[in-house]
Amino acid sequence: MIPDSTTIRNAAREVVSQLIGRPLKDGQRLVTSGLIDSLSVLKLIGLLEKKLLVKIPPETLQPEDFDNVDLIVETVQRVAIPNP
Amino acid sequence: MTFNSVPYLVFLAIAVALFWLLPPRFRRVFVLLTSLAFYASWGLLFVWLPLLVASIVYVIGRQITSDSARQKRWMWLGITCVLVLLIFFKYRVFLLDNLSVLGISVSAHTLSLATRIAFPLGTSFYTFEAIAYLVDLRQGRVKLPSFLDLCLFFFFWPNILSGPLVRARELMPQLTFQKDFEPRFCFEGMDRLVWGLVQKNVIANLLGIWVDKGFAPNAPGIPSTIDGWFLAVAFGLQIYFDFAAYTNMAIGAARLLGVTLPENFRQPYHGATPPEFWSRWHMTLSRWVRDYLFFPLNAKWAGAPFPLYVSLIGVMALVGLWHGAGWGYILWGTLHGAYLVIYRIYESWKTAWPSLASSAMASGLWRLLTLVAVIAAWVPFRAATLHKAAEILSAMFYRFGSGRAYGSTFYVFTAAITVFCAIEPWLMGKLTKLEVQAGAEGPSPFRILVRPIAYSFGLLLFLLFYEHNAQFIYSQF
Repeated sequence: MIPDSTTIRNAAREVVSQLIGRPLKDGQRLVTSGLIDSLSVLKLIGLLEKKLLVKIPPETLQPEDFDNVDLIVETVQRVAIPNP
Repeated sequence: MTFNSVPYLVFLAIAVALFWLLPPRFRRVFVLLTSLAFYASWGLLFVWLPLLVASIVYVIGRQITSDSARQKRWMWLGITCVLVLLIFFKYRVFLLDNLSVLGISVSAHTLSLATRIAFPLGTSFYTFEAIAYLVDLRQGRVKLPSFLDLCLFFFFWPNILSGPLVRARELMPQLTFQKDFEPRFCFEGMDRLVWGLVQKNVIANLLGIWVDKGFAPNAPGIPSTIDGWFLAVAFGLQIYFDFAAYTNMAIGAARLLGVTLPENFRQPYHGATPPEFWSRWHMTLSRWVRDYLFFPLNAKWAGAPFPLYVSLIGVMALVGLWHGAGWGYILWGTLHGAYLVIYRIYESWKTAWPSLASSAMASGLWRLLTLVAVIAAWVPFRAATLHKAAEILSAMFYRFGSGRAYGSTFYVFTAAITVFCAIEPWLMGKLTKLEVQAGAEGPSPFRILVRPIAYSFGLLLFLLFYEHNAQFIYSQF
């Protein structure tokens, strides 16, 4: 089952804060501001998959799909598939 | 018509005036016709190529949107068709030349036939935009528009020749041209346009005189160490000001029509690390490479170190090849790939030794190393042959020699432009602050007096340094 948006949001905030090494501000741009690069986006995907127990197939994704927490929630809800 | 020519400026003034006089419903067709006229001014015969690219995207795009079971196959077919065109027009001579490496000999007649076909300008740019369009269409990020709108997207004259490389989703919604005229379009457009003219004619072209001489294949022997460094720095500055000038004029022309194109430069030589340099240099190409090449490639391996390093070098070598069909460009790209790999390895050390992350000395050293490495990589990019590049690089790094082969103007001018680059962020900050203080939003004295004076001075400089038929470096790519 795909987690609800609040769970995804909380997981995203935690994982991003872990990646950037400080708490995430509301509405903060991640990729377009240069705060994280495309490799960090791949790390972010891996960490979210572990935390939410889902699979996020990256082949139809672009780094800017993870540009802020709202977009991360939207992207995960759109493409994630539950782990078998 | 080059952007830095009087005929182009006349064309632009007439086109912009007519554009705003026309009712909005006629503007799309008008911009398409002016774009066709602009592109045809370079060679009437080549208008069919962007038209063919637009047709391929349209036909394949229809299949992608209607045949959901085979979307991926259609996308790859479209990408292959577009790449075949790019390879044929840009790389055929390079490929034929290098077939001998594989033991295949090509007759002189075939080679001479291949060299006779000209390279249509802008091909590298609009083919990359077409690839991005097909991928975005398959990923559901864009819709397939009418054929007329698609042609308008590919032919849009401000950016058809050398970018910025735009995504359909950021440009197409603006190409409806429904906005009413606002005075700020004029100010913002003219700011970029006039600054672009000065950057090109006063800075880039002047530096080009010495650079052409120093990098020519018949330039005498190994230069002195100081000349080697000055030549490399001068070319680094020339290509920056040349391409930034083109970009400013492209953004300016689009702005005069009320369209916003993405930025391409953010004081690139202030980049403190190799990845930061690439987030400031040719930003729209970096973004394209990241979204359509690097990210999908590494997503397959989840960013594992070995595939990551191989892909960094491979992708950057391709970026070099994209610039031109020559080993110098490939070497330039490969060097940048190596710089990125070295920086990634350093980053993995930072996790093991956190003191490195906070060390001011380490970050200062990286800033210096990045600048030196970027300047050194420009040498094979510009040199006519790899042998010439090796001569200049050896003079810079280990065959130390004294002497100066140029007049003092070269050294003073290059040093002055270097200082200008160093203080550019500070200057821009001051200028912005000044404008805000003067009331940037209203009819302030800054707008009414200072801007027209600055524009007149800029145009005067442009005319004083006017050089007939001076091409932009990136128009060859």
